Amino acid sequence: MKFVERELGQGVRLHLCETDKFKSLTCKVFIQQDLKGKDATSTALLPLLLRRGSQKFPSTLHIARELEDLYAAELGSDVLKIGERQILEFYLQMVDPSLLPEGDTLLERSLRTFWEIFTQPQGPGDRFVDSYFEQERSTLEQDLKGLVNDRRSYALARFVALMCADEPFGIYKYGDLDTLTQLTNGDVFEHYQNLLWKYPVDIFCVGRNLDRVAKLFASLIPSRDRTTQLETATKIQVDDERFFEETMDLNQAVLAMGYRTNRTYLDDDYYALLVANGILGGFAHSKLFMNVREKASLAYYVGSNIEGSKGLMTITAGISDDKQEEALQIIKEQVTAMQQGEITPDELEQTKRGLIGAMTSINDNPAGIIDRNLIGIVEGELRTIDQVVESIRRVEYDACIRVMQDIKLDTTYILRPQSTEPKEQEGAYHGDH
Amino acid sequence: METIKTPTGDTIYSKTLSNGLTCFVLPKPKFLRTYGVLSTRYGSLDSRFRLKGSGQADAPIGVPAGIAHFLEHKLFEEEEGNVFGRFAEWGASVNAFTSYNQTSYLFTTTENWKGCLTLLMEFVNRPFLTKENVEKEKGIIVQELQMYADHPDHRIHTLLLENLYHEHPVRLDIGGTVESVQSITVEDLFRCYNTFYQPNNLALAVVGDVDPKETLQIIEANYPAWTKEQGAIERLYPEEPRGVKSDWVEEQLHISQPRYLLGFKHEPLWQGEDLLRQQVIMSIALRLIAGRSSISYGNLYEADLINDSFGASFNGDPQYAYSVIGSETRDPDALHAQLRTIIDGLKAGGVSASDVERLKRQLHGAHLASYDSFEYTANRLISYYFREMPLHKYLDLLQSVTTEEVQEALVRQLDWDHATISIIRPVINND
Repeated sequence: MKFVERELGQGVRLHLCETDKFKSLTCKVFIQQDLKGKDATSTALLPLLLRRGSQKFPSTLHIARELEDLYAAELGSDVLKIGERQILEFYLQMVDPSLLPEGDTLLERSLRTFWEIFTQPQGPGDRFVDSYFEQERSTLEQDLKGLVNDRRSYALARFVALMCADEPFGIYKYGDLDTLTQLTNGDVFEHYQNLLWKYPVDIFCVGRNLDRVAKLFASLIPSRDRTTQLETATKIQVDDERFFEETMDLNQAVLAMGYRTNRTYLDDDYYALLVANGILGGFAHSKLFMNVREKASLAYYVGSNIEGSKGLMTITAGISDDKQEEALQIIKEQVTAMQQGEITPDELEQTKRGLIGAMTSINDNPAGIIDRNLIGIVEGELRTIDQVVESIRRVEYDACIRVMQDIKLDTTYILRPQSTEPKEQEGAYHGDH
Repeated sequence: METIKTPTGDTIYSKTLSNGLTCFVLPKPKFLRTYGVLSTRYGSLDSRFRLKGSGQADAPIGVPAGIAHFLEHKLFEEEEGNVFGRFAEWGASVNAFTSYNQTSYLFTTTENWKGCLTLLMEFVNRPFLTKENVEKEKGIIVQELQMYADHPDHRIHTLLLENLYHEHPVRLDIGGTVESVQSITVEDLFRCYNTFYQPNNLALAVVGDVDPKETLQIIEANYPAWTKEQGAIERLYPEEPRGVKSDWVEEQLHISQPRYLLGFKHEPLWQGEDLLRQQVIMSIALRLIAGRSSISYGNLYEADLINDSFGASFNGDPQYAYSVIGSETRDPDALHAQLRTIIDGLKAGGVSASDVERLKRQLHGAHLASYDSFEYTANRLISYYFREMPLHKYLDLLQSVTTEEVQEALVRQLDWDHATISIIRPVINND
């Protein structure tokens, strides 16, 4: 599954994957910007505002009826975070028009609707409809406050905010409540216009008859001669390990440990890092799963993952409150064991096969085929699935040990149940809910 | 071997083997992944039954709630460890799930699908149950039940069903209760296994870039012989009163916003093709209330009474049928009052022909799109087969549904005399 790239003007790229494998047409538009405090919250409002209505389809009801008429076309928008970039995403997925009655006219109508809804919002031209703005500000406020409903996500967001407090990476992808109350309709609209017309745009399409799709996009997108340059992710040296503890009304403690790996997507050993992470905590056969969960029964879930743009490895676990010392010790022992060379041939082989299987499967999922390129567009180097599979296949034992020896623990964070007895520790941090 | 053409141009092959196992194969050229699922027509509802013609006494057998799910956990265990590692050797993954009326075991792989398929058939047919490993599993399952109990969406659904129904086991959690799980014995597990895992009570589906003939040969050659008792299964259900147990229930949990769920208990009158038709009719009817294209959705959103979680669904089976409508909301009482007005307005003749036609287009497109999902397609082949619902007639059925039928379904099915409201409110914190 390969993409052919076409440039539609400075910083606007169209990536086309022509295939008759799927019964659908999938298009995604990504607009990226540097992750910044105020802008992050403004951007987070855009998906909420744009679904409320456009010039041609002035309300959610009108949009929904148009999508039903288009035989259940799905159209949506979201905000993503990759490294220190925030990405605004618009997507369209519909049944392959050639399978539908009047398929020819439906393709053009869908793409025009898609582009109109995301670029021509309902409003007087210099701001969104005021009542929509107030309502969606309140929706985002509820969403940000509702983060506490999911204990694990909440703990992870707090952990990242604390560990990366002095780096853009510490900013939550949907922004923050303080900024939200200060934003005006005009501010957000101005930011939206800047994003649309001045920041790098990548459009990915998977399906049939993409020549027509390409022509339509080319006619819809105004040409531009300049695009804003973006920053690269900051690199941090760890001086001292830090420890944070917060409390909340819950039954199970959530543990998060952040390591600086000193490797990112563009480094030679990047795929060795992915394999090493898989051996440590990426699978049901991994060291953390086997030792923390299966042998010691200390956790319901435990695992590790890599953020490849920023170069972070995060270990997370849900553990009973009185077992955290024990769990921390076993986790650290597993990391040390790998650094000392304890990786069996079976572990290496099963992990590589698992990663290759997962990567190969992406070929069968149009949205997945597109999404896996996100890190590539952020880092400025797209790789095909075949290239990635080959890189994983070539990873050897020595490289896995080497990358593990270079990781450095930065921050340990625990979200603990509120204890019944008063336990105000000095230096302990408390949740602000 | 029978064949059915899908509306997207694929072909589904099916065959019932001499041992009674029914198989479906859907070749998907160019795809790299293969998905296989082996299901038994046995779920959490089947806790009272008779096995006819097995030479045993004809007395009904009753077992504790939660056995189908317990067996689902235990079948992964083998004498030499668990079966996960053996799938991992091929980079494959394996999983399972239990519903009210079905237990399914599945794998997905890009390597050696033939090995995976054979292993799937083997491990499901090789229960390894000992007193010790059954006792150990109870702790894990109880943790799982408690984890779900803390989950607000799960909790409000359970609360609703506990009060829509008096006796029918649909009111119980699929995993059972802490007490019922604790009381399960090795004998109970074997009794249910031997009854419900006979090949003629199972179905198998494979989706991927496979040859249908070869796939069926692999299944026939490798499906383990059934050496245990065999007989016709008769499922027994308690007499369920028509009315609801309670029409309004509330609970508290640590959440940021209240949740509201309205349920209508229907008389389960449909089977096979009628059930499929009723599903289509109710899909349209409920979209008129809770769909993004409904006038009510816009009004409730403007009034800040619902958010994105607002939705509705019909759940039907020959044994039970109910519909639910719900949302997170700042004010459950105000939402309820508004919904009542909306539903009564539609019942009084508010269904427009153009709305129905547009929603039929949406369901048409969604049906075509669904064939791109291996999991959804394979699982639906089996669940439709178990309920004798004719998948290949879906689009014709959809086209033939009339505005009058939708209008009539709203009046008959959304009956306030058979409704329950369940609400979960945030705990008032004193910090």
